[in-house]
Amino acid sequence: MLEIKNLHATVDGKEILKGVDLTVEAGSVHAIMGPNGSGKSTLSYVLAGREGYEVTKGSVTYKGRDLLAMNVDERAAAGVFLAFQYPIEIPGVTTMTFLKTALNAQRKARGEEELDAPRFLKLVREKSKPLNVSDDMLKRALNVGFSGGEKKRAEILQMALLEPSLAILDETDSGLDIDALKVVAEGVNSLRSPDRAMIVITHYQRLLDYIVPDVIHVLSKGKIVRTGGKELAGELERTGYAEFAA
Amino acid sequence: MTDAARNFVETYERERDALPGAGLAWLAARRADALRAFADAGLPHRRLEDWRYTDLARALDKATLSPASQPSGVVELPDAAERPSIAVFHGIDRHVAIFVNGRLQSDLVAELPHGVTLVQLAEALGEPWARPLVETKVATQAGNVIALNTALMRDGLGLHVARGVKLDKPLHLIFLANDDGASHMRVLVRLEEGAEATIFETHVDAGARSYFVDLVTDVSLARGAMLDHVKIQDESAEAIHLASLTAELGAAAKLSSFSLTLGAKLSRNQSFITFKGEGGEAHVNGATALAGSQHGDHFCYVDHAVPHCSSSTLFKTVLDGASTGVFQGNVMVRPDAQKTDGRQMSNALLLSRDASMNAKPELEIYADDVQCAHGSTIGELNRDAIFFLRARGIDEHTARQLLISAFLDEAFETVSSGAARDDLRALAAGWFERHQEKTS
Repeated sequence: MLEIKNLHATVDGKEILKGVDLTVEAGSVHAIMGPNGSGKSTLSYVLAGREGYEVTKGSVTYKGRDLLAMNVDERAAAGVFLAFQYPIEIPGVTTMTFLKTALNAQRKARGEEELDAPRFLKLVREKSKPLNVSDDMLKRALNVGFSGGEKKRAEILQMALLEPSLAILDETDSGLDIDALKVVAEGVNSLRSPDRAMIVITHYQRLLDYIVPDVIHVLSKGKIVRTGGKELAGELERTGYAEFAA
Repeated sequence: MTDAARNFVETYERERDALPGAGLAWLAARRADALRAFADAGLPHRRLEDWRYTDLARALDKATLSPASQPSGVVELPDAAERPSIAVFHGIDRHVAIFVNGRLQSDLVAELPHGVTLVQLAEALGEPWARPLVETKVATQAGNVIALNTALMRDGLGLHVARGVKLDKPLHLIFLANDDGASHMRVLVRLEEGAEATIFETHVDAGARSYFVDLVTDVSLARGAMLDHVKIQDESAEAIHLASLTAELGAAAKLSSFSLTLGAKLSRNQSFITFKGEGGEAHVNGATALAGSQHGDHFCYVDHAVPHCSSSTLFKTVLDGASTGVFQGNVMVRPDAQKTDGRQMSNALLLSRDASMNAKPELEIYADDVQCAHGSTIGELNRDAIFFLRARGIDEHTARQLLISAFLDEAFETVSSGAARDDLRALAAGWFERHQEKTS
C-alpha cells in the first residue's frame, strides 16, 4: 500500500525528516510513537502534501504511484486521509455542506456518480449515529465552537464517509477525555478492514490500548529507530523516550 | 468644467422641453436650479472628501456620453448560462417592468391591488406625492451629484401605495442596456402609513459595452411603512454605474436595502437615509465581488435626526485581480437623537496582491445616550483552511469558492426574502468560476 524510502524533508530550511523508511501493507495498523519534535507531525503533513513541507530526498510510493508527484486533493481522491491533530475551523461553511462537497469531489475525481441530496443525507445519518454526531452539529459551521471531542468525532465521521485506503491519524487522542477517546477509538476500529491501512501517530501509549496496532515504530530525530510488535508500547510506557531523546 | 460635464449641460439645453413633466412649473424651476448647481460643482472628483477614492469626473470623461438611444426592434437578451444575473428572481412570483437604455420598454402591470399606483415617470411627476420626493434634500456633499439626475431624468417610475395596503408581489425592475450612451432614470416610491412593498432591481448589459447608468431612487416611508429593496448590479465590464438612494423614514418605518455588486468598470452606490420619526429602522447591506480592473464604491450616510431609531450597515467585499473596493460610511447622530443604535461594518477579502480596499467608516455623535459601533477588516483567504479542504479532496478552485461564499454569506443572511437570498447565493457561488474563465 505505502512504501517510504529514505525520506528527507525540511520545514523553513530546517531538516526534520532525516531518512525515514517505512512500509505499510493493506489491512495493517501501524503506530508511530516518539518524543515531541521527533518529526511525527511533519511525516503526516508530508504524506498529505502540505505547503511548506519540502521533500529533499527519497521517495513515497502509494499503490504503485509516486505520491509526492500528486497534489493535495489528488492524494485525497486517491484515498489518502489525514485526521488532523488540530482540525481547522471553517466559519460560514456548515459541516453538512462541507461533507457533501468533499464526498462528491472525491467521487467525481474517481469518475463515480455524485450523490444527490436524499442519498447523501441517508448516508451521513447512518455514519453519524455511532459517533454521536448530532444533526445540530452537522448544521453548525465546521469545527467552529466545537469542543475538542466534537472536533475529533467530526474527523472520524469524515473518514467513515470518505472511506480512504490509507488513513493517517495524527495525535487523534490529544485533547480527549477517556469517554471521548473510547468513542473515537471505536469509530476507528470499525473502519479497520483488509483493504485499508492505518498509521496512528501518538505520543502516548494510552490510545494504543484502544486501537491496537500490528506494528509499532519509534521515530526519533527524524528517523525510525526501532520497530516492534504491540508489546513495544508497554515497554515505552515504562521506560519513556529517554533512550531515544537527544 | 470637464468635457463630460459640459456635454450634460448641452444635453439639457437641447432636450429640456422634451423631458417628462416639462409642463410643470415647479419641475421646470427645479430642473433649472439643479442644472445650475451641477454646472457650478461639475462632476465629482477625488478632491471632495465624500469622493475621496472614486474619480467619477475622470471616468466619465473617457466614456461615450450622448444620450442612449431609444431601442428599436427586439432587444436580444444575453444567454442566461453566460450571464446568470439575467435570470435572477425569475422563479419568484412578481410584477415586472423592463427598461432598455433608460426607457420603459414593457407595459406596466395592469392588475394591481386597490390602493397601489404604478405609473411611468412623466405621469408620476404630476402626482401630488411626487414633488416632495424629487425635492428631497441630502445633507452631505455626496448628494450633490443627484442634481445631474434631477436636471436630466428622462424616464422611470412612480410607485404609490395607499395607507395599510400591501403590494401583493415584489415589483421587479429590470434595467438593460443594448446601446452605448448615457441614461438618467428616476424611481419615486411613496408608501403611506402602514403600507408595504418589495422591490427587486436587476442591472445587466444586453449588447451594450461602454455606457453610463445614472439612477436615482427617492423613497418616502410614512409611519409604520415597510420597504424591502434587493438590487443586483452586473453591468458590462466597461460600463459606469451610478445609483443614489434617498430615503426618509417616518416613525416606526422600516427600510431594508441590499445590493449585490458584480459588474461595471466603475460603480458607485450611494444611500442617504434620514430618520424623521422615532422608532425607525434602516438596514443598508451589500455584497461585492470584483475582478480585473473593476472599481466598486459604496457610500452610505445615515442621519439619525430623531431619537430611538436603529440603523445597521454591513458590506462584504471580495476583490481579485487589480480591482478596487471602497466603503465610505457615515452615521450622523444629532444632539436630540438619544437612544440611537447605529452600527456599520465593512469586511473585505483580497484574493490578489494587486487588489486594494479603501474603507472609511465614520461615526459623528452629538448625543450622549447612544449605542454605536463601527469597524472594518481587510484580510485574505486562510491558507490552512484551503489546505484542510483540499486534504479532503476538494480542488483548490472549489475550496476558494467555498470560502468566498462563506465570507459573503453573512451579508446574504440580511436579505429577508428566502427565495431572493437563494438566488443571490447561487449567483455569488458561480462568480469565482466565471471570472476565472474570463481571465484565463
